[in-house]
Amino acid sequence: MNAENLAKANDLLHRFPKKSSALIPLLHLVEDEFGYIPEAEVQVVADLMGVTPAYVEGVLTFYTLFHRQPTGKYLIQVCRGLSCQLNGADELSRFLYEELGVQRNGTTPDGLFTVEEVECIALCKNAPAVQINLDFYPNVTKEQLRSFLDKAAKEVRSGA
Amino acid sequence: MPEKRLLFKNIDVPGIDGIEVYEQHGGYQSLRKAVLDMTPDAVLQEVMTSNLRGRGGAGFPTGRKWSFLPKDGRTRYLVCNGDESEPGTCKDQEIIYRIPHLLIEGVLASAYAIGAEDAFIYLRGEFKTGYAILERAIAEARAKGYVGDNVLGSGKKIEITLYLGAGAYICGEETALLESLEGKRGNPRLKPPFPATAGLYSMPTVVNNVETLSAVVPIIEMGGAEYAKLGTERSAGTKLFSVSGNVKRPGNYEVELGKVTLRELLYDIAGGPPEGHEFKAIIPGGSSVPFLTPDKFDTPLDYESLQAAGTMLGSGGVIVLDDRACIAGSTLRLMEFYRHESCGKCTPCREGTMWLNQILQRIESGGGRPGDLETLEDLCSNIDGQTFCPLGDAAIGALRSGLKLFHDEFEAHITKGGCPMGEVVR
Repeated sequence: MNAENLAKANDLLHRFPKKSSALIPLLHLVEDEFGYIPEAEVQVVADLMGVTPAYVEGVLTFYTLFHRQPTGKYLIQVCRGLSCQLNGADELSRFLYEELGVQRNGTTPDGLFTVEEVECIALCKNAPAVQINLDFYPNVTKEQLRSFLDKAAKEVRSGA
Repeated sequence: MPEKRLLFKNIDVPGIDGIEVYEQHGGYQSLRKAVLDMTPDAVLQEVMTSNLRGRGGAGFPTGRKWSFLPKDGRTRYLVCNGDESEPGTCKDQEIIYRIPHLLIEGVLASAYAIGAEDAFIYLRGEFKTGYAILERAIAEARAKGYVGDNVLGSGKKIEITLYLGAGAYICGEETALLESLEGKRGNPRLKPPFPATAGLYSMPTVVNNVETLSAVVPIIEMGGAEYAKLGTERSAGTKLFSVSGNVKRPGNYEVELGKVTLRELLYDIAGGPPEGHEFKAIIPGGSSVPFLTPDKFDTPLDYESLQAAGTMLGSGGVIVLDDRACIAGSTLRLMEFYRHESCGKCTPCREGTMWLNQILQRIESGGGRPGDLETLEDLCSNIDGQTFCPLGDAAIGALRSGLKLFHDEFEAHITKGGCPMGEVVR
């Protein structure tokens, strides 16, 4: 963890009536910083919590928002809940796979984009819905996704 | 009968997510009334009188749940369940994102009523923006003296702590949520003991849904007796319904329970089916409840009527399927969800959802075999009532009713060697 997050981590250790509650918030800090939970950070979190790395591993593998492999700069999660599927979610995922040349849960070679299909994200009334780095994109169309991909790729090329 | 807005009364007011505008529209008056003019027991009594039932899905009377807390002097906790993950349900999301102060006021008043100094709001991990919205709102409420060591000068302490989950449907089950909040895997606990006696950190705890706690605000404002006059005798008040799927105007709609039929909700309020299509079936209470066909659309929207019609009001997540949708494909989609979300703790659910998923997959993709439908039914009955928590029963609700109501359609998949609807829903 970087220094800023270590400071946050120390605050989190004392935020709850019992220290044990800090574990998931700590894992969020790591996931936010690295885009996944690296092996070395499991040890860091375990040491902060005073538990074994195996225990940390046990908890983090229960939750789908924690990744064990690096994800792209932009994590695109297409909701495949029934309401979204009835409104064309499959088409959106197919579009992304073709456009980016990746398979499900795959990351582009440049490390820019990861595409996942995820379970219901509670945007049913705005189906089909997508979230990118956990920002909601309600009633999303292929055109909107295309312009997002273009813009993101351009920004990265120009070093922004 | 149109919408009846209590919780959503001011949702369209610009700036209502900020505390100044919220206060200008009567915000925090219920909290003032509760903390300054009423004893905690008097607030509890109002909630009892209101007949409010839990809005998360189970419909358990809220006042009764509160009254189960033992009076033994131990620390008590209030936990707000904002893990909204039931497919088809997106009402809590709208409260959190658009009227955060309503939820905070409800949490504070409820914490006061049950004598909890610490309240937690557990949000699903995907509500990261909602977390930031609530964080700001709590800071505003603290600056006004509504949150902290001395709420409105009463000498009472109420703190609110936010907690972000990390992607697990099962954490909407209250004991799994408590495990997760304690920093563990979200496996449900054996009940009893119920959270009222041994909840968060083994202390007496009340877990209530976002919508339930928000409803406490109008209940205090109008009085429990007035609130109970809304709706029917056993289904009091208003309820948010999330309408989604194949429908013209999907959205969250607040209606008086028992005073609006499904037909009125689907046609008058939500605009009817998309142009050129007809409704085929709906799932009225989130993905965990049985299908209902259009011949039952005159059923009033309340707990008892929907139960009598063979389904459940559940979370109020109404998923609408029109004539393009394949029932086998839709139940497959739902089963994939439950298989993915089963925590793996108990065998009937873990193995059962896996087998159901496999068989549905082969039926939908053309490899269905004679006897498969009987096997599905058999597997369902081996899950029914045999699991630790309600996820097992939830997983079979739509499938079982689908097999009954649309038997021919499942059969056709097997005899025709694939989905007769073509690829609409996988």
